[in-house]
Amino acid sequence: MKTIIQMVVVLTVISIISAIALSEISSWANPKIAQNRAKETEKAIFRVQPKAKSYKKINQSGLELFQVFDENNKPLGYVLTYEGNGFQGKIRLIVGLNDSLNVISRVEILEQVETPGLGNKITEEPFLKQFENLLTIPEIEWVKGSKPTKPNQIQTITAATISSKSVVQILNEGISKLKDLKQKGLL
Amino acid sequence: MAKVNKLSYEFLKGLWDQNPILKQILGMCPTLAVTVSVINGIAMALATTFVLVFSSFLISIIRKLIPNQVRIASFIVVIATFVTVVDYVMRALFPEMSKLLGPFIPLIVVNCIILGRAEGFASKNNPFRSLLDALGMGTGFLISLLVLSSIRELLSSGTILGFQILPKGTPQLLVMILPAGAFITLGLLFGAANLYTLVRERKEKEVIITKYINT
Amino acid sequence: MKLILIFLSSVLINNFVLSYFLGICPFIGVSNKISSAFSMGMAVTFVMTITSIVTWLVNHYILIPFHLEFLQTVSFILVIASLVQFVEMFIKKVSQPLYRALGIYLPLITTNCAIMGLALLISMKNYSFLEGIFFGLGGGIGFSIALILMASIREELDLADVPKPMQGAPITLIIAGCLALAFMGFAGMINV
Repeated sequence: MKTIIQMVVVLTVISIISAIALSEISSWANPKIAQNRAKETEKAIFRVQPKAKSYKKINQSGLELFQVFDENNKPLGYVLTYEGNGFQGKIRLIVGLNDSLNVISRVEILEQVETPGLGNKITEEPFLKQFENLLTIPEIEWVKGSKPTKPNQIQTITAATISSKSVVQILNEGISKLKDLKQKGLL
Repeated sequence: MAKVNKLSYEFLKGLWDQNPILKQILGMCPTLAVTVSVINGIAMALATTFVLVFSSFLISIIRKLIPNQVRIASFIVVIATFVTVVDYVMRALFPEMSKLLGPFIPLIVVNCIILGRAEGFASKNNPFRSLLDALGMGTGFLISLLVLSSIRELLSSGTILGFQILPKGTPQLLVMILPAGAFITLGLLFGAANLYTLVRERKEKEVIITKYINT
Repeated sequence: MKLILIFLSSVLINNFVLSYFLGICPFIGVSNKISSAFSMGMAVTFVMTITSIVTWLVNHYILIPFHLEFLQTVSFILVIASLVQFVEMFIKKVSQPLYRALGIYLPLITTNCAIMGLALLISMKNYSFLEGIFFGLGGGIGFSIALILMASIREELDLADVPKPMQGAPITLIIAGCLALAFMGFAGMINV
């Protein structure tokens, strides 16, 4: 009986101490983590919309969406971060679009866990470059093994077709949500 | 076996004699998973060493208070706490690194090296010896990861720590970066370590035999 | 349909051992005989399925509502450790033959990173309850397949003349590398 009480007491005490320590750590770290994320997003906004000078967050149906402006405060277009599943796990990306949502200015990958050396080539310039000035109407398409022939097509990376396709799917899904909002006059 | 009781040996044994990866074959999962590049290997080894050192030290201090039956459970809670601390600190201060290692940091909890040292050493020895032991094991882990990740990064992209080592245009072995490459490289590394040990043992035997013959 | 895809992908494509590197220790340790590999595989599949259920419930009904995400690692490992203990006691009561077959492997499972990895992956991938179960079941079966394949190869290997330094773990790892290459052939079949 005595050992049972001792067992319970020791385990409880250890767990309580651990819980207190961890809650302290997380309340110290969480604001910093949020700050890192915000800073990173801000940098990325200006990278995907190189002509932008300022931006404003738009709160619309839970999307992480920003409207960007040029130096005369004229609206340039939108920036959206969106995520979906890739080959190995989640891919989170950021995309810049013009005001009527039909041309992409640039895409960047914020987070991914694709296979190093294969799937993670989606973060590299040759792949991302294809999205610059890409048309989004009716939607983005991908071709495999040959050069794109239409202005809304990109070529998938050899040996990383699934990761490349995932990027296109995530983009199409996010952009179609924006188009819906635009049609309803909410943007 | 006189050297076994020396304090310095508690540290040194982790480097080769009882190297956690090459000799004890512990902690395989993070070893294989993160060694695609040298920088990942170093970061993982440092995070693991941090957890190993603190949990060994703490467990050794409280070892007499813990009843035998809940020993493993208590060790696991202590280890899991330190792992979460590492995870949050890395995410707050080194966001880039934590993105690369993200999914593997929580898995340090089940890295058999840490529980193995807690159970096999820290729960039986005083805090100072446990600290030395943990530092030694951590360094041994770091060395193994460095070797493995250097080979893989060099052969797969011709670089080490991002610096170009092999001349540009050398064929890059994509397989080294894939799971298959990890398994095969580590297998060959084990083989090399075994070969070295075998050769050394034979030499020692030969020395003893020649001594015996000469006398 | 999505459930079947998740199941198949965790069995073949994202095999826990050969592509996530989870559960390597038992993979090397318990793969020298087909019979023990089979028992270990069964034990792991069983615990993985239950783990996916329990940790999902803990995550969605305790940790997230009370904003205790920072306790995730600690609570998952505690849940797994007590779960394994409980399963062991339960099997011992219910079926002696099963206990004799699985008994010695159960304590090893607590430190099998495949189980912990499973719990974390389910929460990371934001799987729903059912998706989590199928993922866990598939992961367990995938682990068993890899383990049994390895054991059958190693039984044959006993007859082969392996150089002395390569015996044991080294040759096992190299075979695992070949298996991983073979399993890569499944990649691209399904996109989940």
